[in-house]
Formats: sequence, C-alpha cells, structure tokens
Amino acid sequence: MSQQPLISDREAYFLERLDRGDRIEADDWMPEEYRRQLVRLISIHAVSEIMGALPEKEWVPRAPTLYRKLAITAKVQDEVGHGQLLIRVAEDLMRPWGKTRDDIMEDLFAGRLKYHNVFHMATPTWADAGIIGWLVDGAAVITQGMSLSCSYAPYARALQRIVEEEGFHIQHGESICLALAEGTPMQRAMLQDALTRWWPALLMFFGPPEKSELSTNQLRNLRYRIRSKTNEELRQRFFSKYVHRIRSLGLQIPDRTLAQDAVTKEWHYQQPDWDLFRQIVNNHGPRSQERLGLRRTTYEEGAWVRRMAAQASSV
Amino acid sequence: MRNLDSEVYEVFAQSDSLSPHVHVFNVQASSPEMALVLAEENFFRRAEFVSLWVVRRDHIHHLGFGDRDGFKKTAKPYRTTDDYKYLRDKWRYYREHPMNPDADRTSTQGGHEHDFTRD
Repeated sequence: MSQQPLISDREAYFLERLDRGDRIEADDWMPEEYRRQLVRLISIHAVSEIMGALPEKEWVPRAPTLYRKLAITAKVQDEVGHGQLLIRVAEDLMRPWGKTRDDIMEDLFAGRLKYHNVFHMATPTWADAGIIGWLVDGAAVITQGMSLSCSYAPYARALQRIVEEEGFHIQHGESICLALAEGTPMQRAMLQDALTRWWPALLMFFGPPEKSELSTNQLRNLRYRIRSKTNEELRQRFFSKYVHRIRSLGLQIPDRTLAQDAVTKEWHYQQPDWDLFRQIVNNHGPRSQERLGLRRTTYEEGAWVRRMAAQASSV
Repeated sequence: MRNLDSEVYEVFAQSDSLSPHVHVFNVQASSPEMALVLAEENFFRRAEFVSLWVVRRDHIHHLGFGDRDGFKKTAKPYRTTDDYKYLRDKWRYYREHPMNPDADRTSTQGGHEHDFTRD
C-alpha cells in the first residue's frame, strides 16, 4: 500500500527556497495554494487602491486652496496608478488560469472580491481627507512595510514603488491635519469629529485580532513568507506610532480604555464591532453601494476607450 | 545590407531580486543564446547577478530621441515632500508642547511662527 506524501518533492524544494530567503518570480514553479493566496491578497490590494481613490476624489472639487487641490489630485492619481501596478502583478499570476483584469473588475462588481473596510466610509468634511492621508495611509504603510519582505518578488518590487509614494501621501495628510489643529475652534472641532468617526475603521483596517490561535490562512501565509506579522502585531505598531502624535495635537481618541502596559508595552483598547466590520467589507458599509455603482458606471462608460486602445496597438 | 541592429543585443542585469533590471551595455551576437553567453563573459566575470536579460536592439522602442529636453518636467512641489519639510519641526514642537484641547489657539500660538499660508 502506497502512502500519499504530505507534500511533494517539488513543494519541499519550494519551501526550502523560501527558508533560504529566495524570492519567487512569476515564471518559477509554485504550489497552486501559494498562487491562490497571492492572487487573493494582491487583487484585494489592487481594487482597494482603485476604490480608495473615490473617497478622496470627492474632495478634489472642494479643496480649500489651489495648492491643496493640486496635491490631492496628485494623490488620487497616485492611488489609481498603484491599482494599475498591482493589477499587472495579479494578471501575471492569473495567466495559467486564463484570467485577466476584466475578471478582477467583474469579481469586484459581483461582490466576490472585497476591498478594504476604510474605503466604504463617508468623507463628509475636508478633515476626513486629512485623516485618510495621515492615518489611513499611515496604517496602510505599516501593512505594506511588512509586505516588502514578501517572498513573491514582483509584489515586493511593486510595493517599493508604492510605499515611496505613500510617504508623500502621509505628509500631505499630516499637513492638512496640522493646519486644522492649529486653526480656528471650528476647524479643530472638524478634525476631532473626523478622528472620532475614523477611529473604529482604523482599528478594523488590520483585521480581527488572532487571540491565541491563527487561522489556517494566516498560518499558510506565514509559512509561505507572504506575510511576517499577525493582524494584532500590526495594530499594536499603529498604536505605538500614532497615539502620542494624535494626543500631542490635543485630540481625544474615542476610547477611554486605551492604554499601554508599562511593562509589556502592549496596548489595551476597546475592540471595534467586528460584526459591523464583516457587514462593511461585504458591501453593506455607509458608502459601499454608491462607490461600487460609480466604479461600475465608469467601467461601462469607459468600455469604448478600452476597445479603441486595444485596436490602436494592432495598427 | 546587414541589419546591424538585429545583431546587437542590449544587456540588462538585476543584482538582487528587489532591484530593477539595469542596463549594462550591449553585445554583438548571431542569436539570443550567443548574446547571453557573451554578456555573461563580458560583464560578469566578477560581479554577481540574479537575472540577465538580452533584448534585440530593434525590439526596443524609444520615446522622443530628438528632443531630450522635452523629458525635463516642470517643478511639481505639490507632488513631492519638498514642501512638507516643515512638518518634522512641528511634530517635535508639539511632542514637547502638546496642544491643550480646550485652549484658544490664537492666544497660545503667540511668538511661535509657522507657515499657515497653505489653508
């Protein structure tokens, strides 16, 4: 009786390569599960960049000065550019499945592909645009900074370009928030309201805490060196980086229980509503349907442009 | 007439997997395989690489060779961090002098001058 080996020789060699610190390229052999995890991760990241342009785009026509209008336009343009970069990385991975960017967009519209919780939220004031740049992009860079060490080289190379531009986005957001913090009582109140509104979404951004056990997906992604830190480790890093800065502006974080343990340095905090999180990422957030609708309409109305561009290449 | 461009291969190499492929030089060769051998022998007797590409020169498309000045961009400070250098000093100042949430800004800011012109 022959016994089925747990992993094939090829897979054992693949894992050995990862342990040596080798990075994997698109045309290297890889386990199907590795490919599936990467496609899932990178597609979510790609559509989140594209959907992430929409909340801030709402403030392009209403930016308070010409300078701010130019800067926020540049940022929105960068985010869409990041989406394009990541879609290319995903497309190369999906090639053996015969899938393309059209499938990514169809999956997004059909609700099969999720985008980050933060981009389902409303942006009623200019301070929301500031908080997105300062803290949402700040949170994103903590996650993406970890992913720079991802074992899949094309994703890591894309992230190097993305993280560099995010550095500009964060300072753009800091500049808006500092100006409001130093402004009139009304401007300060607007900034405080935006922070209060965004705080739970910022904590949700890193995903549910692991408690004592890791999910199968997470274990696999750690083993594949796709990620190197848990959701909770990343959230803790966010607290350490931003809590004192937020407080130095005299802003109140809407969580009276938030405190750092003097010995372990661990932050204790009020858990956001994780049921609400699941509703939001399943497209039942405050602005989910409007933004998906806008993206769908734009996609349909732009069909002729894609068709013309495809023909131009064969002239 | 020999098409010289079809025999010239531009050589690109990557020094580690996180770096881009960088143009090294070119070789003259009768086939891509030969170009790879020559590239390795000519340019990598000492230096290491993780990936080596050769591309036939006539497969490379150029942008605006006639007008290199056209590549120069106009200044776009709103796209860079150049205008945000002042942020570091501000964060340091507020770390040492945290804002009071209830204080009247205009009175506590006295003597501490900053560029508020953006908004």
